[in-house]
Amino acid sequence: MDDLLQEFIAETRETLEALSGEIVGWEAAPDDRARLDAIFRFVHTIKGSCGFLDLPRLTRLSHAAEDALSAVRDGARVPDPALVTAILAIIDRIGEVVEAIDAGAALDDSGEEMLIAALDPATGPALPLAAAPETTSEVALPVRGTKRTVRLSVDLLDHMMSGVSDMVLARNQLARALREMDDPRLETMLDRLTMTVDELRDTVTRTRMQRIEALFAPLPRLVRDAASSVGKHVSLAIEGGDVELDREMIELLRDPLVHLVRNAVDHGIEDRATRILAGKPAAGRLRVSARQAGNLIVIEIADDGRGIDTDRLALKIARERPDRVRELSALTEAQRAELVFEPGLSSRDEVTALSGRGVGMDVVKANVEQTGGRIRLSNRPGEGLSVAIEVPLTLAILNAVMVEVADTRFALSRQTVEEIVAIDQGQVRIDRFGTGAVVVVRGARLPLVELPHLLGKNDPAPLRYLAIVSVREGRYALGLEGVIDTQELVVKPAAPAVMRAGIYAGQMLPDDGVPVLLLDGAAIAARAGLRFDVQAEVEDADTGEVAVGTLLFEDVDGVARLIPTDAIDRIERPAMRDVNAAAGRLWLTAGEKSVPIWAGAGARTPADAGTVLRLQIDGREIAYPVREAMEIVPLPESLTPVDAGPVVALAMVDGTPVELLDPMLLFVDGGDTPAQPLCLLHGPDSPWMDAFLRPTIEAAGYRVARTLAPGERAQVALAMTDDPAPPPSPAIRLGRRRGEGVYRYDRIALTRALEEARA
Amino acid sequence: MTQTLHLVAHVGACGVLIHAGRVDSVVDVDAIVPAPGAAPGVLGLAAMRSRVATVVDPRHVLGLPRGTGESAGRRAVVTAVDGHLYAIAVDTLEDVAMFSIAPPPAGLGSLGPFVSGVVEGEGETLLALDLDRMIAAVDGGVNSKLTPGDACTSGKNNG
Repeated sequence: MDDLLQEFIAETRETLEALSGEIVGWEAAPDDRARLDAIFRFVHTIKGSCGFLDLPRLTRLSHAAEDALSAVRDGARVPDPALVTAILAIIDRIGEVVEAIDAGAALDDSGEEMLIAALDPATGPALPLAAAPETTSEVALPVRGTKRTVRLSVDLLDHMMSGVSDMVLARNQLARALREMDDPRLETMLDRLTMTVDELRDTVTRTRMQRIEALFAPLPRLVRDAASSVGKHVSLAIEGGDVELDREMIELLRDPLVHLVRNAVDHGIEDRATRILAGKPAAGRLRVSARQAGNLIVIEIADDGRGIDTDRLALKIARERPDRVRELSALTEAQRAELVFEPGLSSRDEVTALSGRGVGMDVVKANVEQTGGRIRLSNRPGEGLSVAIEVPLTLAILNAVMVEVADTRFALSRQTVEEIVAIDQGQVRIDRFGTGAVVVVRGARLPLVELPHLLGKNDPAPLRYLAIVSVREGRYALGLEGVIDTQELVVKPAAPAVMRAGIYAGQMLPDDGVPVLLLDGAAIAARAGLRFDVQAEVEDADTGEVAVGTLLFEDVDGVARLIPTDAIDRIERPAMRDVNAAAGRLWLTAGEKSVPIWAGAGARTPADAGTVLRLQIDGREIAYPVREAMEIVPLPESLTPVDAGPVVALAMVDGTPVELLDPMLLFVDGGDTPAQPLCLLHGPDSPWMDAFLRPTIEAAGYRVARTLAPGERAQVALAMTDDPAPPPSPAIRLGRRRGEGVYRYDRIALTRALEEARA
Repeated sequence: MTQTLHLVAHVGACGVLIHAGRVDSVVDVDAIVPAPGAAPGVLGLAAMRSRVATVVDPRHVLGLPRGTGESAGRRAVVTAVDGHLYAIAVDTLEDVAMFSIAPPPAGLGSLGPFVSGVVEGEGETLLALDLDRMIAAVDGGVNSKLTPGDACTSGKNNG
């Protein structure tokens, strides 16, 4: 949070500096629309950031100023000198408060009410016209030991980056030449140089690149606070946090993203009652994901709320601007949805606590376009809205799989490659049908695209590997002649003459100085003429819950087990050097962090972690080593509960009992436990709940009790749906069958319900 | 007429001038990585220190007969267009000198669009190349459909 605050302070200070000219200009010409918009954006941004950094004073000030400015933008108010003075006084005050926050000094808040009151046309000019607030005293603020930062031009950083890359290449050449001399003294010196250069490169890269996680990290809190302030329940899913992006881009995307997420919670997702009436799950779903598609990074904010009411939107514009009626009636449905980007517009008529008046989609669009990106809407009225921000991949670091075709290296984004299968291992079968071909991998039939053919090689070497590529449209197998290694590389755009091929996403330069083209998985599928049937999400008709899929795998102890796929972030084959033993267990190195490797099934040496399932729940991660991932099966209906460590049930798969793991339980050990609320087990079934659900409940951070001690209050109660005695509210009702309350074996749904109850 | 600094090079039998202000560097390209499916005038990619350049064969655009196919060790003139680096492969690079460029005469045929002027050299006419137009011609439309002669269409027959 401190980082965010520092960033906010630096940003506000900088904007204030840039804005001072606009403010003076506006004072001289209050009718200047462009200046008005600039000032409006400033207070709007401040309000947004403050709301979530929990700075109520700034929120109040900026909210008041925004209200007044919004009225001016709508033409409801004329910017008279009194108003201009009042706004300026507020902006000055914002500057002072920000300085005070930075210095950690207290600032008297007297007079702020007066500043806000001065905005009200009814009370009139409470401020004497020329009065800058008296409090502008130049307090000599004490300097705190804060993190010191400077701002640098991007050009300078780029120059530094290319300098370091040059150095790496020169180092490699030098190393090759020196190895031929075979002098141990030189070798040691070279090693030291190598280490220093590598470290330097990492540092320099960090000056420019940041994981997109940095952008996503505040979202859970933001969504939680935003949802609770309007009494809604929203579950947030975040995907693709390890895409690395230009810092500059991350800065530029922060405001639009926060705004879109707030809009989704505030306007998109309906309140509980409306959702239940509409046959949707009570908790709204919000999915924020980042992925690389071609030479773009796509950030998608998708909710399952009400979507944009295009009729109402068009009607509102038509009412305000009767001259546009003809134009409006000619618009397509998609164009009508895009009307939300018009300045000064609100799709909701009432002002709500959060996104204010729903203003700001125009600001969001302007900010995104400033990055050279664009914004696309996919509106399904009544079912949800998905907003995709597409920004150009100017500079990005990608984990790339180097593959070989036609004696040339190409790179594939690791993110799109699910796995790589060697053809000669008998795990796969290739069926050819005239001009087409499919491969059968662990029972799944996938279309085959032979990369050598696609690249125009007529007498290719036999295929030796298949990369199972998963793109948005579907999955397919890409036939390769060789797989070399994986590398983390900077991706840069390729020249139009090369992009014209339509199968590349960019170019990279590995340390050996031989350029590599990055293949675009989705474009290859399109070029090969693959048509994927769009598979609708399988929804359980009764509850709206998505049927739980599970992965069947062979564990390191040779036993077949099941784990819900929801918990699996991805399946990975880590490099040997990334698996290390420390502090009595194995650890997987992933980027800059270490992920613990589950040892419960007997993984003792790095060799046991040849393949790992990367599990991710609520920002916590664990790697589960497996011998082999076999196939995805739906969660069997009949489960026999057992309680043996993380094994919570036995499921029948092809007539054999298979252990089902509860991924939550894998996270139990070593978890930090804050103050634990109490979960009361209610009714005649409480012994059953105690026996079977206690681990899940405890994993969700509760204490469990069957009776309340005097004076004790339960945060939530669990009761069966058919329990005649009413449990104390709030309660989660458990069903004996799917479709009744929370199905009692659906631990994921139960955990979700418990987490909601705790929020 | 003012004089400007130009590089004198030969592509095939054709003597060309390249405005020195547009030249990033002159390099010897030792390895070219193929870029299948790229525009026909593209030979491939090559590393210029830490940057990647697209190697362009001007013969293709200029409508000259193809060279011997020998690509290793050839010289190239590096220039930047729209933030991308291009290495224009030439056969020989002779000189750097000041020239007064005369307007191009008629009769240059397929070369016409890419010539911004001419100079009388030693017993031959040197053509001043318009790099921007030449690169634009190589790039073509980014999303244009490939012609049947291009490599990638064989992808339809995979399997």
